[in-house]
Amino acid sequence: MPALADLDSEAYEPGSSEDFDRLYRTAYPRVYRTLAAILGDREAAEDCVQDAFVQAFQAWKRWRPDAPAEAWVHRIAVNRAISYRRSAKLRQIGEVVRRLGRPVHPADPADIAAQGDLLTALRSLPPKLAAAIVLRHYHGYNNREIAAALGVSERTVGTRLRQAGERLRAVLQPSFSLDAAGAFPSDQRELYAED
Amino acid sequence: MPKTDDDALGPALERRLRRELNRVQPRFSSPRYASAAHPRVRTWRLAPVALGVSLVSILALSGFVATGSANPVVWTERVVTVIESNPPPTSEPSPAQPKAAPREGSETPEPGRTPEPTESPEPSDSHSGSDGAGDSSHGSPAPIDH
Repeated sequence: MPALADLDSEAYEPGSSEDFDRLYRTAYPRVYRTLAAILGDREAAEDCVQDAFVQAFQAWKRWRPDAPAEAWVHRIAVNRAISYRRSAKLRQIGEVVRRLGRPVHPADPADIAAQGDLLTALRSLPPKLAAAIVLRHYHGYNNREIAAALGVSERTVGTRLRQAGERLRAVLQPSFSLDAAGAFPSDQRELYAED
Repeated sequence: MPKTDDDALGPALERRLRRELNRVQPRFSSPRYASAAHPRVRTWRLAPVALGVSLVSILALSGFVATGSANPVVWTERVVTVIESNPPPTSEPSPAQPKAAPREGSETPEPGRTPEPTESPEPSDSHSGSDGAGDSSHGSPAPIDH
């Protein structure tokens, strides 16, 4: 998988529609996967990514190339996903209130099995933590790039990654019991050098 | 910067994350930003329609206020009435305009000249006598003996 620096090696010119088309072709699948991991819903992810690109296109003339363009789009998209999840939670509360007193149908085990355990676990995390995990461990962003993508300091990025790791361990520990030694090595320290 | 070993998930979990996310295939629908790129053009395309609707609305409102009726036929009649009652001021006839041929009986009197009074039956008692010429044929009353 190409690193972010490689993707942004060709400079984008702010305001150029051809460059924005190029950015869309390059960044769309990556941003889509980030949001699919955060939201756990492909249609919602597609909707949010499209909205994010519309927003980015409207601000494209004002984009400054001091941060990678994809990280900038990621920032817009993650914020959009956070808003989406917030409103979805409100809708869920309304649904629960509406169904009060009625029998609750348990989720279909086939549906649960179809979703990956890890993606399900990611979805249970707060979106900002899930985004940090995906940006680091799927896209290979360094702390500075994650900070640019999430609009926070690098110190906050470190904190979020640590919290996200702990929560994921707690959620996935049973399913990782057979592979726990490889998944969460206690003696093996992976050091993320500063970039 | 402190080492960020706390965020280590391990290679197995990272591989698993890659495997599961690589399975997610994005659907490449047409980019939404491309259709939202020219909102001003679309707005201006609707401008003539908006202008027409505005003019018709103003006309209808004016007609309703002037006549008190919502019927456009009434507005039209009102317009015709107003135009007929206020004819445009006639200017001096142009010299090029040919004069209509004078017709007998329809001659218009010249200004400053009073028209001749039409004959009216006179009371017989107060008739002071005249030359009597030309009246015999009309069957005037019998002449008075002197």
